Amino acid sequence: MESIRYEHLQETLYYEVMDNGLHVYILPKPGFQKTYATFATKYGSVDNHFQVEGQEEVKVPDGIAHFLEHKMFEEPTGDIFATFASHGASANAFTSFDQTVYLFSATEYVNENIQTLVDFVQNPYFTDQNVEKEKGIIGQEIDMYADNPDWRVYFGLIEAMYQKHPVHIDIAGTVESIRTITKEMLYECYNTFYHPSNMLLFVVGGVDPQEVIDMVRSNQEQKDYKPQGSIQRFFEPEPEQVGEARREAKLAVSLPKCLFGFKETDVGLTGEQLLRRDMTTQLMMDLLFGSSTRLFQKLYDEDLISDSFGHEYNSSPQYAFSAIGGDTKDPDQLLARIREEVDAIVEKGFESPDFERARKKKIGGYLRMLNSPENIAHEFTRQQFRGGDFFNMLPLYESITLEDVNLRLREHIRWDQLAVSLVVSP
Amino acid sequence: MLPTKRFKTFAISLYAGVPLREDTVTKVALTPFVLRRGTESYPETTQFREQLEHLYGAGFGFDVYKRGDYQIVQFRMDTINDSFVGGDEQLLDRSFAFLGEVLTRPAQENGHFRTSYVQAERETVRKKLESIVNDKMRYAAERSIEEMCKNEPYRLHPLGERKDLPGIEPDTLTASYQEWLQQASMDLYVVGDTTLEEVENLVQRHFNVDRTSSSDYQTQAAVRGDKEVETVVERLNVSQGKLNMGLRTSITYGDPQYAAALMYNGILGGYPHSKLFVNVREKESLAYYASSRYDGHKGIATIQSGIEIPNYEKAVTIIKQQLEEMKSGTISDLEMSQTKAMIRNLLKEMQDSAFEMIAYDFNRQLSGKERTAEELLAQVEHISKEDVREAAEQFRLDTIYFLRDEKEE
Repeated sequence: MESIRYEHLQETLYYEVMDNGLHVYILPKPGFQKTYATFATKYGSVDNHFQVEGQEEVKVPDGIAHFLEHKMFEEPTGDIFATFASHGASANAFTSFDQTVYLFSATEYVNENIQTLVDFVQNPYFTDQNVEKEKGIIGQEIDMYADNPDWRVYFGLIEAMYQKHPVHIDIAGTVESIRTITKEMLYECYNTFYHPSNMLLFVVGGVDPQEVIDMVRSNQEQKDYKPQGSIQRFFEPEPEQVGEARREAKLAVSLPKCLFGFKETDVGLTGEQLLRRDMTTQLMMDLLFGSSTRLFQKLYDEDLISDSFGHEYNSSPQYAFSAIGGDTKDPDQLLARIREEVDAIVEKGFESPDFERARKKKIGGYLRMLNSPENIAHEFTRQQFRGGDFFNMLPLYESITLEDVNLRLREHIRWDQLAVSLVVSP
Repeated sequence: MLPTKRFKTFAISLYAGVPLREDTVTKVALTPFVLRRGTESYPETTQFREQLEHLYGAGFGFDVYKRGDYQIVQFRMDTINDSFVGGDEQLLDRSFAFLGEVLTRPAQENGHFRTSYVQAERETVRKKLESIVNDKMRYAAERSIEEMCKNEPYRLHPLGERKDLPGIEPDTLTASYQEWLQQASMDLYVVGDTTLEEVENLVQRHFNVDRTSSSDYQTQAAVRGDKEVETVVERLNVSQGKLNMGLRTSITYGDPQYAAALMYNGILGGYPHSKLFVNVREKESLAYYASSRYDGHKGIATIQSGIEIPNYEKAVTIIKQQLEEMKSGTISDLEMSQTKAMIRNLLKEMQDSAFEMIAYDFNRQLSGKERTAEELLAQVEHISKEDVREAAEQFRLDTIYFLRDEKEE
């Protein structure tokens, strides 16, 4: 077992790589009642075309990673929620573009719960019958999202931007695509992506790191994993340009929803470089669109935006884009005003006092996040899969300069890379 | 206040509660929206928000919600402990100064709130009320409560009523604010690495307000539910049907049967091992979500599920069967032990979150019931199946609400 001390955060992280390749990380939080654990695979909705070294190339239906997540909860002995409940653990899971995460939080029987988490995810049980049954449940989940305007406007933006890359495919797939899923396909995906060498276990809370690591090691030693070659993921080349400049969906809403963003052309970054660019971009967007900016206040006073107006930046080594917007009575007027105001800011760049203040805010937000075991586990895992270090963000924030942010501003705000997504009432 | 070194922040919460009343609900709801626009020292909203960024992006927010028949305005601040940013920045002191000013010294002109702020925030509240329909899960939940409680103040939305907004002028709102400031029940909480002495000192310095006429919360009896079950069907352009049911119960937060009611809800639909999830979702594949919630302050429980529209009758039948099983005490030992373990987990986990600890203590203020989390936990451990069955007799189905599509059958 190794450890890293992060003095500036007063935190120590313990870790070990198991013989079968599983990465295990423990962050003790003395005084915390709760233990929160995530068991994650670097496998999400975008991984629909792949090949394991020495094996056949495989293409799978849309929504299968999410389908697999649902099905993992079923064991020959019944539903795994019941086992967790017997030990007072609240369990859940989620699937994103590039990872699937299983988790629990509990205040007692911590060792038993960690074992349950690891064992159920490492024990797939798919039958023709239980796969069919799940199609009804996921069909209802898909319908629920279809009625949700925030989801529709967000996905509409990605669909407008991305023409080839599977990030534009809804994480749950469609009712039609999931209909074609079979237990054989699920096993194929499972065997590829749930190999321990593609997975990460993170435990945070009032635990003894040595005890947890020893327990996980002995658990893994009892399982007979053969070494697996590297996984190659295939993505069709994505054009630089957005697919459509504007996309519109009809759904009953009190006010139109308008989300716009810029598709990044320079992709391929990984690790700390990617993390640093994310942080710089987020800082830049906060300076441009944050609720304390003059632009935000002007648009609010002009009754073009509301408290719902926000921004985010989403990236991976293959894609990156911003998403900005909210409810507005007049999307065209909002976009015209933003273009006018933003051009003037891009021309001048940001000023030092504003930059320093925005950076302080980001540092504060980061430190606040460290109160939350959930946030720590999720962000750490996400960064680790991309080669970045969540616990090293404070020095990175300190190293970002005004020039970096101004450069990012000019790079990212390119109107030829703009896409707009709207949800309006029929 | 609770001194602790467990967190990297100071958590500050201020609760201001008044009885939920038709003639004041909208004005009270609008007040915090105007207060967050500016203060005497930071009259412009950009200055106000920049000041928060100077405090290392202190989290600042507010909520307006219902608890029993009270309308609660809650302000929250979450400020990092200076020691993590290597300085003596007095962030706790500056945060108190900020919150105190927000509450007691708003930006004014001609003796009342700034007209432009009142106008803009009226619009904001109007848009928020109108946007409820966008989220169908939430819309169905609120509509079912509105139908169920149509003869009580609880039918009111915590943000008030759209029709009131145009009539609220800066002077009337300011007068309402001053009255609210004096009369509302106020509770201020701090959790973090500080002392009672320091906090008392900060309150005296920064919350200078004359509150001679303030009142304590009064406990209210639950409304009896002895009428026929009412069914309401509403049509909107939706893909998925939303089935919401409302139940009345005489068991409220201060009641000796409260722990049994928590168990009742947990076994019925509080968790993924509960009857609703297992039977509606796992056995019948009817829904993605199916759960229940119990509100001890108001004495109601709600059931919510999203279903395929033609499955309405089937879902209602299955849910009613679960309610009958609860009444007849058809509960397994495993359901008992699992639910106890989950409630235990919830009550213990609270200790890891400053704001949840605060929220738990506020229940005590609101209900007048002294009962620590440890005491409640001990009571839950002793609940028997017979206790749950007896509690089940005190839950009565009152309203079935179904939100469905516009197509004719």
